[in-house]
Amino acid sequence: MKKMKNGLFHLSSTQQWFSKPLKLVVILIALGLFSATNSVSAQNEDQKTLQITGTVVDNANSPLPGVNVLVKGIAKGSITDFDGKYEISNVKTGAVLVFSSVGMETKEVAVGTETVIDVTLNSDTQSLDEVIVIGYGSQSRNEVTGAISSVKGEKIASLPVATADQALQGRAAGVSVINAGSPGSGSVIRIRGLGTMGNNNPLYVVDGIITNGIGDLNPNDIKSINVLKDASTTAVYGSRGSNGVIMVTTKSGSKSEKVNITFNAYTGAQTITERYDLLNTDQYLDYALSAFDIVPTTPSSTSGVNTDWQDEVFQTGLMKNYDLALSGGGENSDFRFSAGYMNQEGAVIGTEYERYTFRMNSNFTLGKVKFGETLNISFNETDAENIGGGRSFLEHAIKSAPYLTVYNDANLGGFQGPNTAGDFQDAENPVRIQLLGSGVTDRVNVAGSIFGEWEIIEDLKFKSQVGLDYRSSKFNAFSPAYDDDSEGATHARDFAIITKNTVTAQAVILTNSLNYEKTFDDVHNFELLLLSEESKRKTSILDASSQNDISDEIEQLSDNGASVESKSFETNRIGYLARLNYNFDEKYIFSASYRRDATSRFGANNRWGNFPSVAAGWNISKENFMKDSNFSNLKLRGSWGIVGNDQIGDYQYTTVLNSNFVYPIDGSYLFGTTANGLGNSELKWEETTMKNIGLDFGLFDEKITGSLEYFNNRSDDLLMNRTLPLSSGFFGSTVAENVGSVKTNGFEATLAYNDDKGDFTWGASFNIGTSKNEVISLGTTEELTGGLFEGNDISRISVGESLFYFYGLEMDGIYQTQAEVDAVLSADIDGVDDGITTLQTTVQPGDVKFIDHNGDGEINADDRVQIGNPHPDLTYGFTADFAYKDFDLSLFINGVSGNDIYNTNKYDLEGMTRLFNAGTSVLNRWTGEGTSNTIPRSGGAPQNTAISSRFVEDGSFTRLKNITIGYTLTDKLKSDTISKLRLYVSAQNLITLTNYSGLDPEIGNFNKTFDFGIDRGYYPQPKSFIVGVQLSF
Amino acid sequence: MKKYKLIIALTCIILANFSCNEDALDLSDPNKLSPETFFKTVPQVQSAVNAAYVDLESIQLFTRNMFFMMDNLAQENLGNEALDPNFAQFIDYSFDSSSGQVKGYWDSCFRGINKANFVIGNEDAINEIADAVLSPENKAKFVGEAKFMRAYYYFMLVTRFGDIPLFPGIIEDGDGRPRSPKEEIYELIISDLQSASTSLLTKASEQVGRATKGAAISLLGKVYLYQQNYSAALAEFNKVSGLGYSLDPVFENNFLEATEHGVESIFEIEFNDEERSRHSWRSDASGTAFASFRGKEYGWKDWFNVYPSDDLLDEFEAGDPRYAITFYTTGDSYIGGTVEIPQERRAGWRKYQNYTVHSGEDTSSGINFNAIRYADVLLMMAECANEVSSQSEAAGYVNEVRARAGVPAISTGLTKSEMFDAIIHERKVELAGEQIRFADIIRWGNASTELSGSNFVSGKHELFPIPDAEMSSNENINSADQNPGY
Repeated sequence: MKKMKNGLFHLSSTQQWFSKPLKLVVILIALGLFSATNSVSAQNEDQKTLQITGTVVDNANSPLPGVNVLVKGIAKGSITDFDGKYEISNVKTGAVLVFSSVGMETKEVAVGTETVIDVTLNSDTQSLDEVIVIGYGSQSRNEVTGAISSVKGEKIASLPVATADQALQGRAAGVSVINAGSPGSGSVIRIRGLGTMGNNNPLYVVDGIITNGIGDLNPNDIKSINVLKDASTTAVYGSRGSNGVIMVTTKSGSKSEKVNITFNAYTGAQTITERYDLLNTDQYLDYALSAFDIVPTTPSSTSGVNTDWQDEVFQTGLMKNYDLALSGGGENSDFRFSAGYMNQEGAVIGTEYERYTFRMNSNFTLGKVKFGETLNISFNETDAENIGGGRSFLEHAIKSAPYLTVYNDANLGGFQGPNTAGDFQDAENPVRIQLLGSGVTDRVNVAGSIFGEWEIIEDLKFKSQVGLDYRSSKFNAFSPAYDDDSEGATHARDFAIITKNTVTAQAVILTNSLNYEKTFDDVHNFELLLLSEESKRKTSILDASSQNDISDEIEQLSDNGASVESKSFETNRIGYLARLNYNFDEKYIFSASYRRDATSRFGANNRWGNFPSVAAGWNISKENFMKDSNFSNLKLRGSWGIVGNDQIGDYQYTTVLNSNFVYPIDGSYLFGTTANGLGNSELKWEETTMKNIGLDFGLFDEKITGSLEYFNNRSDDLLMNRTLPLSSGFFGSTVAENVGSVKTNGFEATLAYNDDKGDFTWGASFNIGTSKNEVISLGTTEELTGGLFEGNDISRISVGESLFYFYGLEMDGIYQTQAEVDAVLSADIDGVDDGITTLQTTVQPGDVKFIDHNGDGEINADDRVQIGNPHPDLTYGFTADFAYKDFDLSLFINGVSGNDIYNTNKYDLEGMTRLFNAGTSVLNRWTGEGTSNTIPRSGGAPQNTAISSRFVEDGSFTRLKNITIGYTLTDKLKSDTISKLRLYVSAQNLITLTNYSGLDPEIGNFNKTFDFGIDRGYYPQPKSFIVGVQLSF
Repeated sequence: MKKYKLIIALTCIILANFSCNEDALDLSDPNKLSPETFFKTVPQVQSAVNAAYVDLESIQLFTRNMFFMMDNLAQENLGNEALDPNFAQFIDYSFDSSSGQVKGYWDSCFRGINKANFVIGNEDAINEIADAVLSPENKAKFVGEAKFMRAYYYFMLVTRFGDIPLFPGIIEDGDGRPRSPKEEIYELIISDLQSASTSLLTKASEQVGRATKGAAISLLGKVYLYQQNYSAALAEFNKVSGLGYSLDPVFENNFLEATEHGVESIFEIEFNDEERSRHSWRSDASGTAFASFRGKEYGWKDWFNVYPSDDLLDEFEAGDPRYAITFYTTGDSYIGGTVEIPQERRAGWRKYQNYTVHSGEDTSSGINFNAIRYADVLLMMAECANEVSSQSEAAGYVNEVRARAGVPAISTGLTKSEMFDAIIHERKVELAGEQIRFADIIRWGNASTELSGSNFVSGKHELFPIPDAEMSSNENINSADQNPGY
């Protein structure tokens, strides 16, 4: 304890900013210790009391350790030991003992004259008393008025995933998770669709501390994930809650629990089985000649080589995962330590992920004071796929000529690239890009918290919590010199490049709160929370690179062609929160909160924002008239509130200068400085007004449960980068303004069935969500475009439409005859009234027929229309679990429906713009009237490959995400040390039903906002097969 | 009771303990300079002034697009097969308001104006620097450089677009400005140049490459000439010769890297190929790009995108030595041997090529572009004299240029009209390939004869169209405001 204090004081001296509150915390903790001893001695003066002992067992007659035994109405109690025994002294006759334990029904027993009271607790099949973690507190499921989806730790552990965010996929209605195939890469999570054209990432809160993501957690350390979806749950996070909140609670030990050791291990393999159909060497040479009149004349084109470049870049990757956890507790403390290791080779060559995690959670009770801490340390190393020439490995694999060999020892670097000007040189050897040199990111994350809670007087608690989050990321890349063809013109670089980029970020967050919770007249339940929070985040970046002209042996920076840049960022926030929860006998529930936040991201005029919310609920099933119904639960609830989004980057409101201009004067390169752009000191929060109505129901003792939700959100003052008039002449050609509005609404439904009686038990759960967004306003801007591909933008935002819809020409088959061409392209396109009719003569039979939407007799940019919507109509998930005696089986299916994908790979496969390898579909191209109505002639009009519906496909899919079969042989072991042993086999992504022609229909916007639903040849998700063991001692 | 006091105290802590920390919310960007704290030192002022020049080096102006656009429009160039359609449209006059090159010209000039305004608008801050640190003369000189550059960019704009948005100072808001009448633009240009001509240093006392007194006076004269204010123009031009400028005895010295900034040079666009490959395809003039694409693009031995037209070649008098310095023809010699013009063309460009020192061009030519040279001034003086003084005075200026070139003096006793024709001829030959002729033809109003045979449409092509990108971003300029014919 002393050490801890020193640590805090040390912090206060270096971090002046926190000094006052921290000192107070320490003083208060000291005060708390003092008063706790006082009150214990006072209780000894009670008279005429009994000493009660007893044993608590479950309905299988096994002793239950860790059961809380409390004397009702006074703060006095005990906990059962390992054998389920308890002892409690000084109990007055007539008092009531309350026995409670997690997962068990609570039981009350009146104290008569007997001094031994044995109790049997039934397991709690009803989830109504389940404690739900919410922002800055917890509630019983009964009292919840907001929209919260919960995923329990067992569900997460049952699906072996590399990172915790992947485990959320398909589990919660209204939560869309898009995974990437690359090992160690994060998922794109969207809660209730999109509400802004800016940053739509949810807020992550781990054990009460706002953090930057959950990729560094070991999924096996997670006890539960609660997703907060509406204003009544997210408004407590004020300025940061508008994209929803993901609350993660990590596992801890239990008080009076004997030391419990669990060990999990699995090993498996992952692979990608999907392929595009590409031309082989013979087909390629025929295609080159017939479509482009090119004969690649180098010797290798006739050497009989037939390289399948897709097979060269995909591999079977091995993966393994081990984790060990140790938990337990004494009378006044509990702890849990865990360590995990995971190693995953990617299904693409040269990709790998390795992670070490350590976690330590513990809690202590000292009289009226509680302390607790959490600490997570994670090291991970990611070797991601490389980009060559701005093109994905998949694009290179598609375009590389099949007659080329992969390797050639005669070439510097040892690889072979295109070696004749006949094959256009875009395609680089994808194996060389992946394997030559290295590019590894090492990340370290240390995140922890410490809190102290003191019950000042009965029902009134003061809590102070400090959270720390440190992250560093080091990218080290080394790319040696290479020459993919020593004889001809090809890809070569005669020097090595060394890159070392470092990012470090540290965040400190301090929360102080007072919580008053009291029940009056047995029915009026009040809870009042007052809270203040401040956080400070610093990030620094150092990027350095150099080259080496003389050697590939040294992977270190030098003066040779060096370039360095450093940057730093700081974000500070403060906030206050007041929240009142009231319910009348858990029947009528009311909740209101008000948060006031300030951030350094905005100028002084708009720094503060107010975020109120109110919610109400009616537990209809608690009404007398429902007593005889089959409804074990029926609750109607509704909420309204305003939440904010400050995810706009630091310092955007300031006007800054740019010194990156150079002009040679008098033989020297002189730097020039000017205003970078127009700042906007009036920048303010994006605000989302959220409305939610929900209905929860449970039938037949919660055998059937479900809920329905409707939400209607409207985001205003959205930050948009308005394009400044070209003539204003600023280098930064846009200004950030709060002008946009977007509305989002949707339904969510969850239905579950649970039968846990008898030898055969089973349960199933189905969830479904819809979300539709529409742009209401863009201010004076007519449209925003993005998603650049081959010089043109694919995606667009305009009023009245969904965000980021695809915009382009609409294909209507192929022109078969000149008459068909003339029927469409009849306009005199030069617009000069000179009596000469100038037609769009580049378009001929065999070219793509586009619809002339404005009917002006020519096809141009004015004929573009909406050609696709990247947002699904529905997202859904289905899980089913079956158990028969020692066998268990679980299935997990997820999917989306109604979304479109813009498949840029199709441009490479069927575009026929220049000679590269292509898909076999080019063999069926148009070669004369009636030959094809889908693939145009080769080398046709440039318009054929314009952004158009030709490349848009339905992205709906249903995927068997996971199937697991397990066998538990604990009983057969008859071991005293092993309490559980389960073996299982599991397969992931085994079956995907989709009409999408690409390798994986699960497409996120991994790089840019406007890239929603654009497939740029991303790393597909592999199928994986796993064998695992779970062991408890 | 103690405890209740404590509770009250704790509540107060929670509600008030951060109030003193609101200062922590006032952050400034540690990565970027702030305008509030700038213009405190001489290097800062100088840096802001330097920035005003950089847009000249934009790929959208002299690094690449300008020579194609202007030489093509004047039909001095015709295009070979390889010529990018984006440039070919300036030969056949098919460009419209969607042209990226028209947009680039507009964009780069306004970017330059913005950077110049950053200096001019902060004149008060500059003047607050102690005189001992920065002398009043140098303060005025720095502002003068910015005013010269603003005038230079505005003159490029007003001659090609007519009425344009006027930005007399720093822009504080993002509102679009309507087109201001070109008379107002000229007022600003003239007042800037008048001010610059008094505050700028002479060529002898200024760093090589910066705007000088001579440049400001020459440009002011040219502006008057464009307004047909011949006497005012002549008065300015007369001051230029007094500043020590003269014709370089060797004509070709004006177009070679080794002889940049000679006696004839008044204002040059600076290029430098010391660091090879420091060319840039970037359009925004940021970063480090100091070399021109011209050698590679025009070179007969390189990309050979364009070749000199017969109309231009035939303009040269027989025996004019400038022909062999302006063009290469098959059989000429260059450093790599004997010239062989490909594609059966009569000639390829020699002016501004590096073939006298390199056997091939790369995409980073270091030859400065001689934007204002004394021969141009002399010929403009001739034009003025022909209008307001005498034909014989005009003939004197023309003959000065001809004598340096090594061609005989023009006949004596020409009428005003004949003298004008002689000046037209002389400018076409002397200044061939220097992006001057198209502007000359337009101001003379004789495009339909000079450009006969081309697709030039009178009443339309005198001006460029306002680019689409301006109309879509500026609520005060729309298609109804477009220049005639577009």
